[in-house]
Amino acid sequence: MAWISETDLGTKPAPDSARTVSLRIDGDTVTVPEGTSIMRAAALRGTNIPKLCATDRLDAFGSCRLCLVEIEGRAGYPASCTTPVTEGMVVRTESAKLAKLRRGVMELYISDHPLDCLTCSANGDCELQDQAGAVGLRDVRYGYDGANHLQAAKDESNPYFDFDPAKCIVCSRCVRACDEVQGTFALTIDGSGFGSKVVASADEGFLPSECVSCGACVQACPTSALIEKTVTDIGTPDRAIVTTCAYCGVGCTFRAEMRGEQLVRMVPWKEGKANRGHSCVKGRFAWGYANHRDRILNPMIRESVDQPWREVSWDEAIAHTASEFRRIQAKYGTRSVGGITSSRCTNEETFLVQKLIRQGFGNNNVDTCARVCHSPTGYGLSTTFGTSAGTQDFDSVEHSDVIMVIGANPTDGHPVFASRMKQRLRQGARLIVVDPRRIDLVHSPHVDAAHHLPLKPGTNVAVLTAMAHVVVTEGLADEAFIRERCDWDEYSDWAAFVAQPERSPEATAALTGVPAADLRAAARLFATGGNGAIYYGLGVTEHSQGSSTVMAIANLAMATGNIGREGVGVNPLRGQNNVQGSCDMGSFPHEYSGYRHVSDPATRTLFETAWGVSLDPEPGLRIPNMLDAATDGTFKALFIQGEDILQSDPNTHHVAAGLAAMECVVVQDLFLNETANYAHIFLPGSTFLEKDGTFTNAERRIQLVRKVMDPLNGYADWEIVQLVAQALGLDWQYTHPSEIMDEIAALTPTFAKVSYLALEEHGSLQWPATDAAPLGTPTMHVDGFVRGKGKFVVADYVPTDERTGPRFPLLLTTGRILSQYNVGAQTRRTENVAWHAEDRLEIHPHDAENRGLRDGDWVSLRSRAGETTLRALITDRVAPGVVYTTFHHPDTQANVITTDYSDWATNCPEYKVTAVEVSPSNGPSEWQRAYADQAARARRIETEAAE
Amino acid sequence: MTPNETAPPDTAYADAATRLLRGRPATRDALLPLLHALQDEFGYIADAMIPVVAAALNLSRADVHGVVTFYHDFRRAPAGAHLVRLCRAESCQARGAATIERIATQRLGVTMGATSADGRVTVEPVYCLGLCATGPNALVDGRPVSRLDAAKLERIAAEVLA
Amino acid sequence: MIRAYVSGDMASVALGADEVVAALAVRGVEVVRTGSRGLFRIEPLVEIDTPEGRIAYGPVEANEIDAVLDGTHASRIGRIEDHPFFARQQRFTFARCGVIDPLSLDDYAAHGGWQALDKARALTPQAVVDEVKASGLRGRGGAGFPTGIKWQTVLDTRSPEKFIVCNADEGDSGTFADRMLMEGDPFCLIEGMAIAAHAVGAGHGFIYIRSEYPFAIRVMQAAITRAAPRIAPFALEVRVGAGAYVCGEETALLDSIEGKRGQVRAKPPLPAIEGLFGRPTVINNVLSLAAVPFIVAEGAQAYQAVGFGRSRGTMPIQLAGNVRNGGLFEAGFGITLGELVNDIGGGTETGRPVKAVQVGGPLGAYFPPAMFDLPFDYEAFAAAGGLIGHAGITVFDDTVDMAHMARFAMEFCAHESCGKCTPCRIGAVRGMETIDRIVGGGRQPGGLEAMPQMRNAAARPRDRAAEIALLRDLCDTMKFGSLCALGGFTPYPVLSALDHFPQDFDQPATAQAAE
Repeated sequence: MAWISETDLGTKPAPDSARTVSLRIDGDTVTVPEGTSIMRAAALRGTNIPKLCATDRLDAFGSCRLCLVEIEGRAGYPASCTTPVTEGMVVRTESAKLAKLRRGVMELYISDHPLDCLTCSANGDCELQDQAGAVGLRDVRYGYDGANHLQAAKDESNPYFDFDPAKCIVCSRCVRACDEVQGTFALTIDGSGFGSKVVASADEGFLPSECVSCGACVQACPTSALIEKTVTDIGTPDRAIVTTCAYCGVGCTFRAEMRGEQLVRMVPWKEGKANRGHSCVKGRFAWGYANHRDRILNPMIRESVDQPWREVSWDEAIAHTASEFRRIQAKYGTRSVGGITSSRCTNEETFLVQKLIRQGFGNNNVDTCARVCHSPTGYGLSTTFGTSAGTQDFDSVEHSDVIMVIGANPTDGHPVFASRMKQRLRQGARLIVVDPRRIDLVHSPHVDAAHHLPLKPGTNVAVLTAMAHVVVTEGLADEAFIRERCDWDEYSDWAAFVAQPERSPEATAALTGVPAADLRAAARLFATGGNGAIYYGLGVTEHSQGSSTVMAIANLAMATGNIGREGVGVNPLRGQNNVQGSCDMGSFPHEYSGYRHVSDPATRTLFETAWGVSLDPEPGLRIPNMLDAATDGTFKALFIQGEDILQSDPNTHHVAAGLAAMECVVVQDLFLNETANYAHIFLPGSTFLEKDGTFTNAERRIQLVRKVMDPLNGYADWEIVQLVAQALGLDWQYTHPSEIMDEIAALTPTFAKVSYLALEEHGSLQWPATDAAPLGTPTMHVDGFVRGKGKFVVADYVPTDERTGPRFPLLLTTGRILSQYNVGAQTRRTENVAWHAEDRLEIHPHDAENRGLRDGDWVSLRSRAGETTLRALITDRVAPGVVYTTFHHPDTQANVITTDYSDWATNCPEYKVTAVEVSPSNGPSEWQRAYADQAARARRIETEAAE
Repeated sequence: MTPNETAPPDTAYADAATRLLRGRPATRDALLPLLHALQDEFGYIADAMIPVVAAALNLSRADVHGVVTFYHDFRRAPAGAHLVRLCRAESCQARGAATIERIATQRLGVTMGATSADGRVTVEPVYCLGLCATGPNALVDGRPVSRLDAAKLERIAAEVLA
Repeated sequence: MIRAYVSGDMASVALGADEVVAALAVRGVEVVRTGSRGLFRIEPLVEIDTPEGRIAYGPVEANEIDAVLDGTHASRIGRIEDHPFFARQQRFTFARCGVIDPLSLDDYAAHGGWQALDKARALTPQAVVDEVKASGLRGRGGAGFPTGIKWQTVLDTRSPEKFIVCNADEGDSGTFADRMLMEGDPFCLIEGMAIAAHAVGAGHGFIYIRSEYPFAIRVMQAAITRAAPRIAPFALEVRVGAGAYVCGEETALLDSIEGKRGQVRAKPPLPAIEGLFGRPTVINNVLSLAAVPFIVAEGAQAYQAVGFGRSRGTMPIQLAGNVRNGGLFEAGFGITLGELVNDIGGGTETGRPVKAVQVGGPLGAYFPPAMFDLPFDYEAFAAAGGLIGHAGITVFDDTVDMAHMARFAMEFCAHESCGKCTPCRIGAVRGMETIDRIVGGGRQPGGLEAMPQMRNAAARPRDRAAEIALLRDLCDTMKFGSLCALGGFTPYPVLSALDHFPQDFDQPATAQAAE
């Protein structure tokens, strides 16, 4: 094969064992770890014993019976996949007898298999075909007219892959992959004996079944029984390029498998340290948006947003952009402009945008979408630990005994990591879920949380403080750890605070809605159950007390001694693919890359020297402040790369008003997003497939993004920013993103050892990668906290100003769903809509009954901020008094509802708590209608209009 | 794709499952006992029971379906009013089971493994009842009968077809 | 008041015992339901308490009860122990079966019950394991693996939890000893399991009984309830199978208890190390566990003294099929097949010559009378291309068509295959088809094979010899390639039929048609 072929050693590596065993295989002595299978031992020496049911991704199964070997002194022909090596064992992998047995087995397989190899989608990429060749089968003496499965109907219901039972060899690899790797248990064998067949759920077909379309089964299938439709349509790939997924913060690496210039499929890369060869429906399949007809490929400009767009040349667009910014700054002042970096773009691109603003615009008016998601993580963890990032790698969860998930829904939001977590839970780790909603992790097949604390939205701090109260007052704190690693006086103050009777579970139960006994039991389990790890998401940060909650989590982890080794830690699950990276790269108005304050003279001098300009020592404006300033008339131009603030930021009315008040809004994106409705210049963006760069995932892992095809729009995003910079008169001469990374490394101590060369060599690096830790740092704070002593911060519970009352008696909280991603710009332009075509409002049966609502009814959802309509989904996953929706569809406009309350420390919006009322409705709200009209007008493009 | 958002479970089956599981931890190893109990009560394992049983034991529908279809005992449709299970294992064959099977299916008007059109009787094979010295054997509505011959079959037919 | 003993064994009931009991009850006779004595030709059997002991009559019809009660019934047997069928036996395991009320704790204790458990509990676990090892007891389920060594492995494996599992999934045609013991002396099995639990440190046990045995299920459940205080803290429960023969394979049985499809697990890991729920597990057949109370009570030496070669102790042999004296015959190993079939069994019930006997159930070989001097012994049977299995012997007279029986072996394998491994899943079906073609005289190339595109398929017809060669190759693939004994042993009946009765494969289905 022309592309990097992945080797499959047949069985998993032996569990950690220091002991080795020596044996003889076909005359050679081989030494392998104790517990290794004969098959793997042979493969490591280069002998590939025939196999079909074995793969090193799954537990050995022993069903295909091709891998039989002879072992001296043992009767029969043991299967090499299920037989572990023993000291002194003498193994023969080839003999006349073995050849005959293997041929006999293969003859049986082929007697019930279609004979159309030459026209099969998997021709050339089929293990059955390979093995038939390997065992030398020539004739099927049974003939082909015996009982068979050749008439079985294909299941083409899944939008991405087909299942052809006639080509299935019933090796159960798909079933096992669904169970062992993904943990959904959606597949099974129906029947027994010759009638055995693979089915999804109760023989329902793949689409209606429990299948979550993660692709693990397709990946595991050795034939074309399960195969991507794209392979059938385009053909088998002829080369592969390893790159990093552009969806969530898990940062899965994939082999982009190409045929010529065409992407055939994305296949999770086995060596990927974040995903270990697994994938989800988004990264695996939902890449079709890259070629979607909605993509804008030519730059466009217009004088005002009432006008249709006019396509222009790149030269004109770039020159116009530069002149507009210079004009506005000349007229309204240096600080009247700013920019927003993207958490979906590469580190290098993000670095360039903030550099453009600091160096080119001469101010610090740069912010990023992390503002609206994980800014409290940055604040909270740097304050307590000294580093604005999670403390572990994903592998760490394999060592956890108690896992607490708070304000995160990993099976939907971070599915590949969720599968790892579920593997650990099936091994016996126990789980505590703190969430207003009964997410799948609380109770779903083969997963059962030990405790679910269904708190009222907005009461995170009270719940965590009550847990701390139990830890402290019941003597469960890890005093030795605290004395050694933290400031004892600060701890004592904090302990005295949390121990106050009014913070007890009993005293706060009415407020939080969490029964005191459950909370106590959960706290005891966390404190005493072994390695305790905390994973959290936006349900923690997107609150008026987001930063307090992050610090409360850090306090709890320190108090129980759960920091600084594998299996423990505080782990933010990042939303977007590069939200960690965009924060690292200096996207915030007060920080340079590596979280160094702009007011720090030494750091500033470093950058001033490198960039040859003097830099503004004052922090710039955050996104909400920019919008406020715009409505006040002092902020006039905004450069937005790869973000759709109109849809994703809170209080849509306010965002729209701010944008409308500006003289020049530049949007750089793949599609005419909602924000572009208010833009004057549109610069087409490039997809992750079209450029080189790096993303940094939730575990601080920096991974290469590799260009697999030329940008359809002509330029990678970094090149466009460079063109703008050059038009502004800056002397930028980057020829490749690696040079940008070199600059980042030179200017950022935690990235000191990061380079493309190092990334190519090691696959990935987790920052900090410094002289002291040149290969990166999987686990943080091992010998001490980065800030020195761990800091306990008294984080008092302060109720949000957003209160329910007679007019708005319900609390709305928001989240996402597996098949859609963020504002949906990408996933809505893929077949993923098969699973989630619209946002729905989840409402408890009692609340629905009180309002006369039935499942599927259109309802009006109103808050103080605005009103929208959507359809109701009646479910007891939400508690009475709580309603929930996703925000993937712009026509729902969930953020019309959300308020502009925000985190006290970072302005992260309080998406997760909005007082609302729900009532029957028969159509879109006035705002939705007005917005739809405006959007239709704003999206007109002149060339089209002229036709 | 959304296991917890499917149609509401059939309440009659759900109530029965709850009752039948009483006093037993709802762990996976309760699956066969629960399926047996449901079949004893309702006569067969209805399609609608699968999500109910899955929910009761925190399994996937696939898990339950795989088990239900694996075991010969679990029937997916109701049997006839009477159930005649004829042994066709070797010891009964050595004593003329094939002839008995031919006579029985003819007399009862139903093929082996099928239920008569009027729903009166189902005839099924069984592989050994452990009465191997006194075959041919049958279980007629759960009652064992040995040394089956034409006369005994006639009595059974009269009872079953009455 | 007259007291009578009538068996409540499923076989006795199938022969009319309940009707006999009803007739006795009408006449005011106190009836004790026992297990079966084990000779079905004399069932329904009625024993009447007399000063001379229990006087037996059988077979007895319900309408003949008066003759039994006045002692004039023509089928008066006298003391059952004196009947030659019983007099020749050495009943170690089945000593109480047919004698006592199976659910009477008093009866059980009065006949030596619980002595072994008390004795074992006074010993260290290692001492109990040593005793079982010294007895030479081998697994009665068929594999013949030394029981004591299995127990030693479980004893030596550290775990917070261990299990005792009794394999009572007796699915082999021609065998019924497990069923008889569970129905006739359930406490004996319970005691054996409780001893095993003490010996290895297990707290919980399961008896997995096939659903085709409703009587045994009922009796065992009742017996467990009654014995619970006696065996505490060890606790037992019955699990009922669901019509899957393959669950008699120990790892499939474990999966079935766990609520899974009864698919065979690959070994290693051995169940003794990672068994039920991943814990160390003793899994033994009913007869192995039921032999233990005798061994512990009487001493390993008493057990070990009986037997032949490396097969020690007694074996409850079951005579089945077309045999005159069908039933259970417990004797020391070493008795020949001919003695069993002709002397004890009395030849065929039809009176026609014996053509073949199948030993060891559907996976056992067919032997012609020419091999009747074969001694009942694990090694001797293995050397002769067969297996003892669960010691069931099914007798066929000369009307049997052995090609048909060979096909049936494949059909049974196809019906019961769990579907996991390829040789069994596909091979059994191909085996049926191949035997059909052999009987049909071979085959012409199929439509597909005859197409010019199929350059590699042989274009010539396949004659009977070629099909037989294919069948032998298939049997080889199944025997050495299958994951468990179902696929692995199905070749025994097939090949033995082919080897010993080749003429039956040579005539197109005549015997069948003539039947």
